[in-house]
Amino acid sequence: MHTLINQLLSRADHIILGKSLQVRLAVCCLFCKGHLLIEDIPGVGKTTLAHTLAILMGMNYQRIQFTSDLLPSDIIGASIFDVDNHTFKFHPGPIFNQMVLADEINRSTPKSQSALLEAMEEQQVTVEGKTYPLPTPFFVIATQNPSHQLGTFPLPESQLDRFLMRIELGYPDHQAERELLKGSSRRSLIEKLTAHMSAEQLFVIQQKVIDVHVSDALLDYLQGIIAYTRISSDYAAGLSPRAGIALLHAAKAWAYMANRDAVLPEDVQAVLPSVAGHRLKPGSHDSQAIVAPILENVPVF
Amino acid sequence: MDVLTNRTLFVFLLTAIGLIALPHSSHLPGPLVIFFFVMLIWRFMGIWYPRWLPGKILLYGLTFTGLALLYQQHLGWFGRDPGTSLFMTALSLKLMEIKQQRDIYLIAYLAFIVAASQFLYEQSMFMAVYIVFVCSVLLAAMIMINGRQANIKASLKKAMAILMQVLPLTLIIFVFFPRVEAPRWLLFEDPNRAMTGLKDSMEPGSISDLGLSDELAFRVKFTGNIPPVASLYWRGPVFSYTDGKRWMQGRHQGTGMKPSVPEFNGDAYRYTLLMEPQDMPWVYALDMPAGFPGELFQNSDYQMLTRKEPDKRNEYQLTSLLQYNTGLLQEDERVRNTQLPGAVSPKIRHLITALQSGTQLTEQLVGNIMRHFREEGFSYTLRPPLMETNPIETFLFETRTGFCSHYAAAFVYLMRAAKVPARVVTGYQGGTLNEVGGFLEIRQADAHAWAEVWIKDRGWVRYDPTAAVAPERIDQTSYFQQQFGDELAQLVPRRNLQGSFEWLKTTRELWRSLDYSWQRWVINYHSANQLTFLASLGIAGLNKMIYWLIAGIAVFTALLSGYLLRQRQKPKDKALQLYARFCKKMTARGLVIRAGEGPQDFAGRINLVFPELAGPVDRITGLFIRYRYGKAPTKEDLSLLKEAISELRIKKGYSAKAKSRFNF
Repeated sequence: MHTLINQLLSRADHIILGKSLQVRLAVCCLFCKGHLLIEDIPGVGKTTLAHTLAILMGMNYQRIQFTSDLLPSDIIGASIFDVDNHTFKFHPGPIFNQMVLADEINRSTPKSQSALLEAMEEQQVTVEGKTYPLPTPFFVIATQNPSHQLGTFPLPESQLDRFLMRIELGYPDHQAERELLKGSSRRSLIEKLTAHMSAEQLFVIQQKVIDVHVSDALLDYLQGIIAYTRISSDYAAGLSPRAGIALLHAAKAWAYMANRDAVLPEDVQAVLPSVAGHRLKPGSHDSQAIVAPILENVPVF
Repeated sequence: MDVLTNRTLFVFLLTAIGLIALPHSSHLPGPLVIFFFVMLIWRFMGIWYPRWLPGKILLYGLTFTGLALLYQQHLGWFGRDPGTSLFMTALSLKLMEIKQQRDIYLIAYLAFIVAASQFLYEQSMFMAVYIVFVCSVLLAAMIMINGRQANIKASLKKAMAILMQVLPLTLIIFVFFPRVEAPRWLLFEDPNRAMTGLKDSMEPGSISDLGLSDELAFRVKFTGNIPPVASLYWRGPVFSYTDGKRWMQGRHQGTGMKPSVPEFNGDAYRYTLLMEPQDMPWVYALDMPAGFPGELFQNSDYQMLTRKEPDKRNEYQLTSLLQYNTGLLQEDERVRNTQLPGAVSPKIRHLITALQSGTQLTEQLVGNIMRHFREEGFSYTLRPPLMETNPIETFLFETRTGFCSHYAAAFVYLMRAAKVPARVVTGYQGGTLNEVGGFLEIRQADAHAWAEVWIKDRGWVRYDPTAAVAPERIDQTSYFQQQFGDELAQLVPRRNLQGSFEWLKTTRELWRSLDYSWQRWVINYHSANQLTFLASLGIAGLNKMIYWLIAGIAVFTALLSGYLLRQRQKPKDKALQLYARFCKKMTARGLVIRAGEGPQDFAGRINLVFPELAGPVDRITGLFIRYRYGKAPTKEDLSLLKEAISELRIKKGYSAKAKSRFNF
């Protein structure tokens, strides 16, 4: 199973150049059943990453381009009158897919945003009193522009909390940029891409992630981190219990990806910026800087 | 958290202050207490409606009102009560004027003073526990202010921890801090404050007031056997002079005459007597005291008096014997103890002649009088009718009802009418045995009066005429509740009720026993007792006491701070201790593990600097990780880890290498 994972990662790295850490984090997020938020300026490959992951994971996917005039029914679907049967028939929207790419989520109005986020939280959609379950696995990869850009509606803290991770891509380094410029277009590469694993294999991985061992000593460290965020004056609000659970799950997945059966403090530290960054300081975009005081001050032992 | 606008904090602080002031409402003048609580409630409302708080001019008015009320209630400024009231009033006024954080501190300190002033009024264990409780609440309020957190539970917990930590310090200071007796003029004694106890004269009826009080008079702890209840007569003032209504101590008292030493017989009873504060220097020894400490002396009526201040609790070691013979009677004593106010009325003369007929011995006369009381319709009550003129005659022939004073007075009068020397003795009879503490409690309700008759060859012999009428009064432990339970106050023993409340009784006895220890060991630990106690430990003199005090505080502070500092550093489990040894070896070579660094990262860093050590370091790290974070840690891993760490040797030269490559 680990060779499968490593192959998946290297295939993804061929498409998204020089961002192997971000790719690993994104995969890690999917392995622990979390939704992913990719945040950066336009044109650094957010959508490419989302596309690549969806295809490699072998899931059916749909992309929703969020715009300011997007309506909730554009996401979840609507009941339309069927002339033949004289009944209303529900036409499922793009959300009824295993993987949904919500592109530029913060360009739409809060009303539409919350339609998506509610579906994410409850794994089901209720239209006109009827409840429709969403497929499993169900992932949302959302991309968003930095909120200081024009025409954006920043997600409030409560909705940011629903994303297990937030990652930033950043500019490619010199070497990667050169390769990017020389190589063929990413679009054509993605078109040629085939699925690398099946939904069943993903399910097995998700189960194994849950089984990764967590010792009391590790929990001490994890609680130390949580306590620090609550006491420290650096943060307006500390990590919530939900955030604590998210951090633990992510660390487990990270440990599993490193082919270990127990979580180490290093695993927690590796996922901490992307799990805690957007929860601690929603306005800031440098997750590493946000969690730096935690990594520095919370003793591992 | 902004201290000045935090409602939780204010509610908490004001509640604490309310609790602190609450016990004062029982002994400070009502208007002042009302003033205090009105201000407190006003301030409470001010939390939600800050506009309602008084402005500057109104505050001046309130201050003036408070001070005027204070002066009007106490008619002065000095003394215990006005001083306490002054602090209370100042505290309530300061509540109205919270503008800065500093004001809250001031209020907290004032509240601490008000809390301490409770001990000027009551020093019971209950009060001490209560004050500790309210002080911890106040302390928690201060923790909330300083910690800038509004979590009440966490603050209370912290306050408790602080209290626990200072407890040993308190003990050291309590034991060693020199008790200095303040000059009496410094105490600002209130002359109005009266203490209860027996009086120095007796008018039948005066003891009835005492009998109603459940207040403690003194406590006695016997070493060895406790004599039977019927023989527990605690001797108080002896009255030999009467004007027909009042009975008083003879004029001979105070002349320093010493009594003749009685001839003792039978078993000696040794006991410790703990007197409650009282007005008179009287010590109620068991009849008849044979051995007593130097600070006590006997007057010529065998009453025990103390040279110590009676308004403090004092403890005495005494020995008494129940059988004694006081020997011969001096002529002046005979005159004093047959004194009668004027001529005996024909009616009484007639009665005494009848009782005396056919008697040879004094004992026979006594027996006749007792029989007369028993058979001629006399009864015992605590609420006799008033006998304003000629009380003896009224009692003997008309009302025939009364309590111990009536019977003792009438008996002595009859004896004297028959020319037999007799006198009234007052004191306490019986006592309640506290089974838990094994000591007797003698309450004001146990006050009693009996008679003594001088008989040839036997000396002064005690007779208790009350026993002839109401033997229960003497034989059984008298219970205040039993006697005064019903309106009529007839002597109805309530045995059945007592049985069903057995557990209640045990609880009460346990409490009283605790209270006894509290009085004995805490309250009574004053200057003299402290000196004796410390001298018995070999610490004599003020200098030594202060050295011990300072040394005790220093040692305890050092121990506590050492403990608190260690607690934070000490690694908890075995693997961590071993890993700490590994880190120490690395530190010696210039590689220091950082606070937030995991073992794997640290190993990676070491391998960068010492690639030669990669093998052992990776092995140590792997074992440590497996033991600490792994699924199934085994003891074997631990011993392997121990081995690997002790085998790890780093050559000296590596240190410089490390430093040259990295700037740690």
